[in-house]
Amino acid sequence: MSDQRESRTTVYCVGLALAATALGVALGVRGPLPALTPLLALSLLHVFAENQITDLTPELGSSAGVMLCTAAIVVFRADQSALGVLLVGAAGGLYLPHLVHRDWRKLLFNCAQFALVAVASAGVFWAIVGSGKASPGLLLLAAIPTALIYSIGNVVLVSMVVVLATGQRFREVLLVGSKEYFVFYPFALLGVFLGLLYLDYELALVPLFLVPLIVARQAYSSYLALKRSHEATVRILVGALEAKDPYTAGHAERVAEYAQYIGLELGIPPTRLERLRLAALMHDVGKLVVPNHLLNKPGKLTAEEFDVVRKHEDVSVEILTRIDFLAPVAPSATSEAAQFSPIADDRGQPVEPHIVAVADAYDAMTSTRSYRRALSQDIAFAELRKNSGRQFHPRVVDALIAALRRRGEVHGAGYELYVHHVSAPSGHLGSAGLGDLLPEGGADDDQDSAVRS
Amino acid sequence: MKYSVRLLVLLVVGAAAVAFSAIMNPGGTSTAIVVITMGVALGELMVLRPPHRLPIPLSYAFMLVLVRGADPLVCVGAIALAELAVLPLREGEWSARATVGAHRLFAGIAALAAYHGVMAVDALSPTPRLLTALGVAGIAALVVHEAVAFLREPRWPEIGGADLALVASGMLMAIGFRGVQPHESVGLWSVGLFSIPLLAAWYSFERLALISKTSEQTIEALSVVPELAGLAPAGHAARVAELSVRVGGELGLRRRELEDLRAAALLHHLGHLCLDAPETRDTPIEPAEVADKGAEILRQTDLAAAGDLLATDDARVGSQILRAVSAFDDLRTRDLDVAAAMDALYSGPGFVYDARVIEALDLVVASASTD
Repeated sequence: MSDQRESRTTVYCVGLALAATALGVALGVRGPLPALTPLLALSLLHVFAENQITDLTPELGSSAGVMLCTAAIVVFRADQSALGVLLVGAAGGLYLPHLVHRDWRKLLFNCAQFALVAVASAGVFWAIVGSGKASPGLLLLAAIPTALIYSIGNVVLVSMVVVLATGQRFREVLLVGSKEYFVFYPFALLGVFLGLLYLDYELALVPLFLVPLIVARQAYSSYLALKRSHEATVRILVGALEAKDPYTAGHAERVAEYAQYIGLELGIPPTRLERLRLAALMHDVGKLVVPNHLLNKPGKLTAEEFDVVRKHEDVSVEILTRIDFLAPVAPSATSEAAQFSPIADDRGQPVEPHIVAVADAYDAMTSTRSYRRALSQDIAFAELRKNSGRQFHPRVVDALIAALRRRGEVHGAGYELYVHHVSAPSGHLGSAGLGDLLPEGGADDDQDSAVRS
Repeated sequence: MKYSVRLLVLLVVGAAAVAFSAIMNPGGTSTAIVVITMGVALGELMVLRPPHRLPIPLSYAFMLVLVRGADPLVCVGAIALAELAVLPLREGEWSARATVGAHRLFAGIAALAAYHGVMAVDALSPTPRLLTALGVAGIAALVVHEAVAFLREPRWPEIGGADLALVASGMLMAIGFRGVQPHESVGLWSVGLFSIPLLAAWYSFERLALISKTSEQTIEALSVVPELAGLAPAGHAARVAELSVRVGGELGLRRRELEDLRAAALLHHLGHLCLDAPETRDTPIEPAEVADKGAEILRQTDLAAAGDLLATDDARVGSQILRAVSAFDDLRTRDLDVAAAMDALYSGPGFVYDARVIEALDLVVASASTD
């Protein structure tokens, strides 16, 4: 971050904190003071929620914030103590990691941001329902514009700090940030309930309210932990096993990464993306049953050897099929299913096999194999484009090229992470690490020329 | 029928029932009861699946609302109706479906009885009494839920967060639905909104169950690779895993240890895949080499504990079990019958196989042949 951005961000954060403090003092002097028990209870809950949930997914963390602020707005409605709402909001900024690392700027910003947004929301809510008797239905209805103001305030203040700190454009940041706010509305309604429960039964029912949320949180964090552990385990196992073929070390991991790029580019939803990554990681697992001397054979394979090597796809499919989660994309491991056919209607067919095929071919071309050296990225792109709409799915090819260009990643000759000190022949695009069938009558001529040019 | 389709069918049928009730009896309380009955039916299809725990349906939470919000007879009728409605959407034999439905109805009746039992006690003031009654009702439903499994195999259930979440949500819904005098009620709103945290818990447990299953199946699938490569007899890994876990159970290993043992047993030939082919080596591949290579690989992963069991220098019970059971399966695949295979293990040199392990294996194998 440049010094100028740094100081602007600091000014913004401190300014926001001063504004919140001034507002707090004004409210304390002129308005009624909040009752102590609900203030402490709700503030503690807010601190707890932010610290427990934000480290999982930030959106859920903020939704707990919406819930507790709305609860505070309902609880302090009778005497209209905006100071109470402000303090409960500010408590949400006390995020332990920031405290531990003495990141005062983030602390100030978060406390001020939550406090200001909470007071603005309270203004809307109280303007609608007033301080007198109101039916639960009206309170719930009022929660909707309240959540709207909360989310607008939140997204604007947070986007501003992102713009100042990173120099991105305001509109871009705003669009990214505003996607996840739909989840706020049900939580605002829950907040009304929490508030009503507190008014009716004081603290007696609050634990009942928290237990399911904490349980959901624990289960979700176990899920995330197991997901990470599982993926790491598969990565390491596949990596260790493919190490027997020095030419394909890291292949599966790279294919998984490219597949993920393509999936993100095509807007595939998270669960399917997870499935895609795992399937890509395991797409070549059947190769483990192929004898080493065939895998590492320099040059071309005889038809007989080629059959043996080809059988590995059946093994890969069999293994992927045994895993229920991956079974729907098990064809990712075959070259037939991944073959794009412009005539066939592929609507309703999973796109995953095509993604793995393109990622696999790209990595095969841009890394050195026993039968040829790595090609340059330009040649690989050209080759993918040439076969786009024939062998490869055009949308998938475009997605990969766009994703790599945007990330500025270069692979292929001169950019390989693993350098092989071997005399691999140059020439031949090969078929994704399997070696070419010994040509009968010199097929593949145009591919060779593409490489040699 | 796909799961989402079954949920949809139930939602459509439920919506029709609600609309019918609202038209026939506008402004009456019966519509709310119909909505909650639909909640019970939906809850039967949505099941909390915490690890190592009998799955618990969300319907118990909605039953608590009926227990408090409806007359006892209406409550029983509504639960019975919900169970009937969901019967065609369950999976399995019809007799098994009916048994599950009856079991749930019985759990609902137990909750109802417990609730009214506590409410009859005059000693408490209204709110604590209501909270106690609802809590006891929830526990009663869970006790009946566990009872069948407990009678089959007397083992204390691992009560955890899922149970708490279910009962707590049910209590809140029930209190919000009718309120406690002098506080006003919030009606059906409370049922809808307090089911959100419960649904969040359900979703999280579903994700957790899916990834646990995927993780297990991945290990099982990888265990087949050496067999497909012709390096081990077909089905060897699965048989050794199954038998090892039973021997481990016999020797009193804990769950965590049994899980590691199972993973180690499934993957005990994996190392073979990483060794060079015999034709390119001077010496033949030794089993110990395979085991140590496997240990080396697994130790880099979160399966490190299983990797330790594979190492040839490991002397813990788990390793001993794995070695003995693997040898037993090898002998069996060489067409030796059980007795001959056991004889061969018994007569092996004392320091090769642990005597306690061989005895436990003998017991397990003997009980399997009498089954």
